[in-house]
Amino acid sequence: MIQIDQVSKHFSNERVYLEALTNITLNIEEREIIGVVGESGSGKSTLLRLLDLMEDPTNGRILIDGQDTQQISLKKRRQLKKEIGLVFQQFNLLSNKTVADNVALPLKLVGQKDANRVQEMLRFVGLNEKANVYPRHLSGGQKQRVAIARALINQPRLLLCDEPTSSLDTRHTFEIIQLLKKAHEAYQPTIVFVSHEIDVIQQLCQRVIVLERGKLVGIVENMPHVRNQFQETYYQHVIERLRQ
Amino acid sequence: MNEYIEEVAYYFPEMQLAVSQTVRMMSISMIFTFIIGLPLGIFLYLTRQKKQQVRYSLLNTYVNIVRSFPFLLFVVALIPFTRFLLGTAFGTTAASVPLAFVGIAMFGRLVEQVLLDLPKEVMELAESLGATWWQLIWEFLLVEARSGIILSFTSVTISLVSYSTVMGIVGGGGVGDFAIRYGYQTYRYSIMYTTIVLMILTVAIVQWSGNSLSRILDKRK
Repeated sequence: MIQIDQVSKHFSNERVYLEALTNITLNIEEREIIGVVGESGSGKSTLLRLLDLMEDPTNGRILIDGQDTQQISLKKRRQLKKEIGLVFQQFNLLSNKTVADNVALPLKLVGQKDANRVQEMLRFVGLNEKANVYPRHLSGGQKQRVAIARALINQPRLLLCDEPTSSLDTRHTFEIIQLLKKAHEAYQPTIVFVSHEIDVIQQLCQRVIVLERGKLVGIVENMPHVRNQFQETYYQHVIERLRQ
Repeated sequence: MNEYIEEVAYYFPEMQLAVSQTVRMMSISMIFTFIIGLPLGIFLYLTRQKKQQVRYSLLNTYVNIVRSFPFLLFVVALIPFTRFLLGTAFGTTAASVPLAFVGIAMFGRLVEQVLLDLPKEVMELAESLGATWWQLIWEFLLVEARSGIILSFTSVTISLVSYSTVMGIVGGGGVGDFAIRYGYQTYRYSIMYTTIVLMILTVAIVQWSGNSLSRILDKRK
């Protein structure tokens, strides 16, 4: 689905030159859940910004379904963005919009209005009773579930997650992981999951790439600990982890 | 006390006229302040964010010049322009022109500052969802900044009420002019202080209304 072909990304101004990514080559398959790990400054978020078409590579190409993202028209790029959902670390909900309006935002931007679809997504993330509530009344975990509902509302083929559990406690982290597994089963998106939490990556990802100072230094295939029973409760999960 | 009431009653028709002149000056200038100042503030913010130095510098220079000009001199300096625009530089409507100029610059700057205070996540989300410029402004920036914008508009309104008191120099009339001519210059201090109390009450009502509306629209806290 996605081919990252010798991609580099540099940022520079008069004073600073930063090589965020250097010569990355990687293929991401349709419906795969791939993890990206690395320390702060390793280029994880830059890679996600490139995949979300928020930035263009300095060198190299990114091909989505064989189309070079730098060669397509602005209109086509907008269409392509509709097929990409992004979940942020800090949720990025609009505080002055209700939960339902936040979830409906991607639809609204493409000129659609579908209250049933919004309700369906809120039911999917278990927040249908919070539709008319403002984000300030939600816990961190609930906010992230709203953000996931928003990212999924257009039924994206690619779901990008930028450290979505980093600001959550263990219980909410577990719930978010379970929700992402459920979303993958229901909608089958390709998921690129960026995190520095190895435990979280182990629970979710089938394959993991490791970045260090902008370079791809390793790929781990067939992750051993991936469990797909998303009905597992939090405490079953805790006991299971302690036994390992 | 009776003397005071009689004096106020005697000057009441002039006071009514002065209030209506202030209301007219303020209404005209505040309408233009809103419809030009708001886009100006948004444009200042966006050109700054997108690092469009030339455009930003042009607008920024305009705002700085207007805001740093001593107001009385600004009113006088603007007379040729007001005359060109309206055919006269004298009267209540003409007095609205310099008021609107100052209001636009002040409001534009305050809107820019309110937008700069928004969390960077708002822009990041808009960018990620592929929002157009218009969508960015309408669905993201104005939604998140609305309470701050209302408070800014309230502050500008109050400042312009104060500025409007000197518009007597170009025949604008108004409450301030009334207080000086009928109160201070004729030694009727009761008239002058009554007018001042009236203005204090007006400002208090404007501030209270602005605060209330802002609180109703602010869902962040």
